[in-house]
Amino acid sequence: MSSVLQDHSAALRRRPRLTAWLPYLLSLPALLVCVGILVPFITAAWYSLQRYNLAMPMTRGFIWFGQYIDLFTDPDFWNTVQVSAIYTIATVGIELLLGLGIALLLRERSRFNNLVSVALLLPLMTAPAIASLMWKLMTNPNFGVLSWLISLLGVHDFRWASDPRTAMFTVVLVDVWVYTPFMMILLLAGLRSLPPQPFEAARLDGVPARFVFFRITLPMLTPYLVTATLFRLLDSIQQFDIIYAMTQGGPGDSLMVFQVRAYLEFFQYTNVGTSAALMMVLWAITYALSNVFVKQWLKLRERAHGTA
Amino acid sequence: MERHDGWFRALRAMALTLVLLFFLFPIFWILLMSFQNNEQILRLPPSLVFRPSLGNYIALISGKLQTSAGVLDITFLHNLWNSVLLSTCSVALSLLLGVPAAYAFARFRFRLGEDIAFTLLSFRFAPPLLVLLPLSLYFQDLGLSNTYFGLIWVYQLICLPLILWIVRGYFEDASPDVEYAYRIDGHSWWRAFTRIAIPLAGPGIAAAALLSFIFAWNNFVFALILASADKQPVTVGALAFVTASGIQYGQIAAAIVLSILPTLALALYAQRWLVEGLSLGAVKG
Amino acid sequence: MSEQINGGLGVRRLHARFGRQEVLRGIDLDVAAGETLVLFGTSGAGKTVLLRAIAGLEPAATGEIHVAGRDVSVLGPEARDIGMAFQNFALYPHMTARENIASPLRARHYDATEIERRVTAMASLLRIGHVLGQPPRALSNGQKQRTALARALVAEPKLLLLDDPLRNVDAKLRYEMRLELPRLLRRAGAATIYVTQDYREAMALGDRIAVLREGRIAQIGPPETIYDAPCDVAVARLFGDPPLNLLPCRVQPEGGRLRVEAAGLRLLLDARVAAGAECLLGLRPEAMALTREATEGASAAQVVAITPLHERFVLLLRTADGVEIVASTTGQPPAAGSQVWVGAMVAGALLFEADSGRIIARRAAPEVCAA
Repeated sequence: MSSVLQDHSAALRRRPRLTAWLPYLLSLPALLVCVGILVPFITAAWYSLQRYNLAMPMTRGFIWFGQYIDLFTDPDFWNTVQVSAIYTIATVGIELLLGLGIALLLRERSRFNNLVSVALLLPLMTAPAIASLMWKLMTNPNFGVLSWLISLLGVHDFRWASDPRTAMFTVVLVDVWVYTPFMMILLLAGLRSLPPQPFEAARLDGVPARFVFFRITLPMLTPYLVTATLFRLLDSIQQFDIIYAMTQGGPGDSLMVFQVRAYLEFFQYTNVGTSAALMMVLWAITYALSNVFVKQWLKLRERAHGTA
Repeated sequence: MERHDGWFRALRAMALTLVLLFFLFPIFWILLMSFQNNEQILRLPPSLVFRPSLGNYIALISGKLQTSAGVLDITFLHNLWNSVLLSTCSVALSLLLGVPAAYAFARFRFRLGEDIAFTLLSFRFAPPLLVLLPLSLYFQDLGLSNTYFGLIWVYQLICLPLILWIVRGYFEDASPDVEYAYRIDGHSWWRAFTRIAIPLAGPGIAAAALLSFIFAWNNFVFALILASADKQPVTVGALAFVTASGIQYGQIAAAIVLSILPTLALALYAQRWLVEGLSLGAVKG
Repeated sequence: MSEQINGGLGVRRLHARFGRQEVLRGIDLDVAAGETLVLFGTSGAGKTVLLRAIAGLEPAATGEIHVAGRDVSVLGPEARDIGMAFQNFALYPHMTARENIASPLRARHYDATEIERRVTAMASLLRIGHVLGQPPRALSNGQKQRTALARALVAEPKLLLLDDPLRNVDAKLRYEMRLELPRLLRRAGAATIYVTQDYREAMALGDRIAVLREGRIAQIGPPETIYDAPCDVAVARLFGDPPLNLLPCRVQPEGGRLRVEAAGLRLLLDARVAAGAECLLGLRPEAMALTREATEGASAAQVVAITPLHERFVLLLRTADGVEIVASTTGQPPAAGSQVWVGAMVAGALLFEADSGRIIARRAAPEVCAA
């Protein structure tokens, strides 16, 4: 018996501890991918300080911040800033209000409400580029069902994305269609996680519904509202897929947001330097936003998981 | 908390109907179009009653498109295959890289740990073109442009942060004592990781994998920049297809339906975890 | 302390530090094979860290650890040949009770029939044979606890670490297990460290008790020694329910002995101390003598309150000058409000230095303090 025991505990192999190295070993592959991505990022910063046009390699040279100075004095750049700002504010604003409204409608946990909220997620799961194609088909001047519907309302010659006056409206509409469910689902999760006691107390005291909404619901929902809004701001200011698939930034430069413009500078005008400078400006904006976002996000995460 | 009188109910029902109409009508309409031929599509006013045909799907699947100018070869099915390949491999690679890292970040406090985790998170919010444009030049030098390998590598930008942060949450939720107990039993660290930690985080890993599959599938800009026609997924392929097929609207609709069907189906299947995935693990549904 | 290390556990110069905070400050400990050492202390004393360090789960720990004559200090927990039961059971939720118990045997590469034989034997010993096919979530707390114990014991490890295993089970079960455990542990024959915060459990299960305080072992010895001769006021207060009475007292050498006066009580103790030194007299409630008539050295007191506790009665008394004294008695207690005389049994009296709290050694008493 005891010899058997000896034998078997010897099966517990002697093995030095690798605890100190283990975390590095485990995260090393992910770290390497990190580094692989960081290299082009640094290159982009480097390019943005150069005059660099692929079509004119002879003119390449280091010009410090000349590129940025050119950019900031270029009305096209300010057009890009303006278009991006309008797009971002319009989409996030509408999505926030609409998403909150729908979340409030679906607040109670019931089979029907859950079914509706799942159905509403479908647009969000549609690739944004494909969503643009869908709306393009529906707004086609020849047979588009939306063009036909709007003509029934007496509006003829409504040319959706092909008209500079309505192009912004059209892409915002598509963005709202795709991303409102994002707001809705996050705010719904937030609403449903609120403690019921304050609401029960308010009902017992006969507090009017409007007062409950503004003084109890909204303040308690604020962390979710802030996180969802920042999340959408970060994505919306970088929107590319919907706009590119719909109009490639046109008509004219009415939809020339940051990333679309950087893309065209790069591939159409082979202007690497300008393109890189544009992206650096966008990066600075998103970096600042994402720092605010991560703080909010971590708070919510701690609430969901205990410790971060 | 709400007044349940008749007016209120009627208003609520009306609002919900409008909401459902707005969000579901486009999908429904495109689905109808995909069963119609051009004649039926071009008829005004549009009609809900028509004789449905599978012609558009047959054309897409056979790869032969009948146009007025003759027979056109279409590669849409190949795009679909590219989507499957790219998304599946990206998620697999992401799991391979992300799950061990997520475990390391959840279980150990180590120098650089949080830095790496947050750097990966910041990828999710950095403008993709910032990296993609220089990368397209590098890829040409490295011979990686228009390769599956190169694309799968870049797709880690989408999949890795998602998997890392969702799975990390699940590892954090599990008590480390259970793993310690297994090691004290005499099992190596690796066995404790594969036999205890991973099975216990299983639902989280599955959810993260499904969601990153959806996001990889829906991605557009990476392949637009780094791939040519033969490596492009459906998102880019569909756009090219619109240009190529001209006025074959029924086929475009059918292509759209085929492109979004997999993600919609997966989303319905994974809906329990969508909130968590969409918020990168910050909100639980 | 000898450097020779026996067949059980030997711990030498164990330190652990979390950032600035030193959690373990040099632990030396020996537990012989077959011996049960109870590790006792308040929460935050470092008990769990010490246990985890011995198990190899605490990367911050430095020092030497020997199990059965083998230096395991640099080995991972899997190679130390130990069994451990956790406070929260730490069962594998995705395995049945049988697979849980079999886990250490699988790690040691026993063959299937031997595994089955041992698991069945261990399960019937712990009376959980009928739930072996169930997953942990289907088990009651008691069954979970027994499954965890079975898993720790089944491979007959050289060292058993039991981290407060009875904390999360109900009172009845805790009572049962307290009776059952000594038999199980004797049968296992391993060196055992048993962590608890319950002094009764410590007294009932420990061959020796080590009192851990602020990362050091304050006192180590058999339960009787810890109870009868605690090394200082703090250790004395940890053991006993209700805790001992502590009375400031005056001391006066008298004929080679020491006259001690506190709250009207007078005792003659075999101890030596400078005249007029500030001292505390420690009297355990059960060492108080209650009489209805005046006795030598006793003080008159009024019974303020009576509380039944287990098989005894606990009395709160107040002396004429307002000092409160707790006494316990097994006999019929006097009525509340009645007058009694309260004295102290010399054998149960403890004398401490007032400022340091250290015990003043009674003559012929062994050196009891570790430090």
